[in-house]
Amino acid sequence: MEWQSWVVSTFSFMLSYGTPLLLATLGEIYAERSGVLNLGIEGMMIMGAYSAFVSAYVTQNPWIGLAVAAGVGCAFSLIHAFASITLKANQVVSGLALTLLGLGLSGVLGRTWGGLPLPRTLQKITVPGLSRIPILGPSLFEGQTLLVYITILLVPLLWFILFKTRIGISIRSVGEDPATADSLGVNVKRVRYLCVAIGGMLAGVAGGYLSVAYRPAWTEGMTAGMGWIVVALTIFAFWNPITGMLGSFLFAALYHLSFRLQPWMSPELLRALPYLFAILVLVFVSRGTLQRRMGAPAALTIPYTRGED
Amino acid sequence: MRKRFAGVIGLLALLMIGALAVSAAEYVPGSPLKVGFVYVGPVTDYGWTAAHDQARQICVDTFPWLETIYVETVAEGEEGATIDKLINEEGCHVVITTSFGFIWGTVDKAQQYPDKIFLHATGFLREPNLATYMADFYQIYYLNGIIAGALTETNKLGYIGAVPIPELKRHISAFALGARAVNPDAEIHVRWINEWVDPVAASAATRALIDEGCDAFAFTEDTAAVVQVAAENEMISFGHYSPMYVFSPEYCVSGQIAHWEAIYLDFFQKIYDGVYTANNLKHVDYWWLLQEEGVEMGCDPGMVINPAYEAQLKGIMFTDPVLGEISIYDLVMIRLQQMSDPGITFDPFQGPVYDRKGVLRVPAGCILSFDELTQMQWAAEGIVGAWPDEP
Repeated sequence: MEWQSWVVSTFSFMLSYGTPLLLATLGEIYAERSGVLNLGIEGMMIMGAYSAFVSAYVTQNPWIGLAVAAGVGCAFSLIHAFASITLKANQVVSGLALTLLGLGLSGVLGRTWGGLPLPRTLQKITVPGLSRIPILGPSLFEGQTLLVYITILLVPLLWFILFKTRIGISIRSVGEDPATADSLGVNVKRVRYLCVAIGGMLAGVAGGYLSVAYRPAWTEGMTAGMGWIVVALTIFAFWNPITGMLGSFLFAALYHLSFRLQPWMSPELLRALPYLFAILVLVFVSRGTLQRRMGAPAALTIPYTRGED
Repeated sequence: MRKRFAGVIGLLALLMIGALAVSAAEYVPGSPLKVGFVYVGPVTDYGWTAAHDQARQICVDTFPWLETIYVETVAEGEEGATIDKLINEEGCHVVITTSFGFIWGTVDKAQQYPDKIFLHATGFLREPNLATYMADFYQIYYLNGIIAGALTETNKLGYIGAVPIPELKRHISAFALGARAVNPDAEIHVRWINEWVDPVAASAATRALIDEGCDAFAFTEDTAAVVQVAAENEMISFGHYSPMYVFSPEYCVSGQIAHWEAIYLDFFQKIYDGVYTANNLKHVDYWWLLQEEGVEMGCDPGMVINPAYEAQLKGIMFTDPVLGEISIYDLVMIRLQQMSDPGITFDPFQGPVYDRKGVLRVPAGCILSFDELTQMQWAAEGIVGAWPDEP
């Protein structure tokens, strides 16, 4: 039954490691769909990780930690929103600044929190009934935290809002053609602010998941580049929450296999594999016409000023 | 306005002259000593850099004439500019670089500032004003291996390695030799993460090893991630560098703690006394082990073995050709004693030792030289997994 244990472990890891990637990717999809590229994910995630750990440590409640992380991520993203939407600054520069600021600030603030284990971490649950299904049960419905399932439920919800509701149409039209959307009475600024804030919130929670559930402790720079993977996954997902889920879980599974396959393949190559995969996908989708067809927002990274067209 | 501007210029000029004067001054024994530390990681990593910084603090508390300053998270390759700053702007007499990767910048700057004193961790290049040092754990890894080999139920031990360099290979092989000394069926499954500080990857690697069936974990990574993941799965682990007992009071059995202060205190005192100067360090290489108290066995200061495991280890018996019927607990304590005594009577790499390809690496009756230890590339028997640059 060797293969079964491989399936179980890969799927189980896919959920636990893929969840923070998915959360942040969902947020970035919303931000980019509204026309704002946010390269500050790494910064928002690390601030989320730091604030979640500290507040969960102080209150002894990991859920409060996650709520604080959502707030901090949101507040942090508003810096980017203000710079890029209101001040119309270059989105790439402003996003990068956010990443650097987050890494630096969390490092300074986190100084005294390094060597502490979190007394109460996010609890792992077993889904009654479903966990008894052979193979699938132990791989998907056992030993995960509730946040994993909440995140998965968010996927259809966010997809529905984006593609089947008026709000979704507003978001997408602002990302495609803000001038037309504006003339039709959509408040471009407000929609963009809202989407960036949602992105920040989800990135904050993603970071919080790392420090209160995945590995309950605080280490400076513990997100270790995850935010950049999210940027790639957003493109890989063609700005669609459902493909975003597939991409995040696929990446997580590859990441797991990169450790399991080490006795047979070069560890350096394996460690690079998930990233190579991301680059390949980026090369593939960056062909202009294809990108347009796949859903790249036309007004991405372009600040909107009324009356200039 | 112009006056103020001129004032600023004048002040700057004065400062620069002052800085030059400071940097030109050679250290006079018995006068206040200023030491600058260049760290590779954050002082909060709870591993390598944290251990160095605690040692720095102890030195400051011990010597009233000592002043220190540190620069953390310095990228390897950028140490040169940091050293310049510490000497020219901060007026340091001594600069300590705490990562192997700082080797070229340190040598370079030691030649550029011949009247300053340098100390480089884990390196092998020395100058008249540049000494090297290391507090090594290989003896303790062997002892941890004995415990892991005795306690494992699956006969599979996991080792999460940061970067495949001789230091780690030496430690993993020592761990394997210890485990197989008491349990010839033990296998040591190794996974590399290719980062010094990456708790997320270390957790992922630990989980992969658990899926392989490993049930006891040792590691080299600068956080407690492995200890935490092992505890979550109710599996034993061995702390590394810093006291990690607090992360897993139930499952952290032992481990190793560095006492860099032992080396630093000795080094600073000798500079203060005028024994070490910028002219006589060419052959000063600290290689401090159990005997010199540069390192300590345990996952908490003063706790060699977690008391929760004492009874169990006293209950497992083992027949040693020399010591006869003996419990694992006593065996560990005797070996620890043998390696801590002034006249060392035991070494983990005591021949005959074969590597996993069957090549005799240490002939019977021999032990490894310092160079053989510090340049070790082979893997001991029982090690499973990738091993870059395996001879």
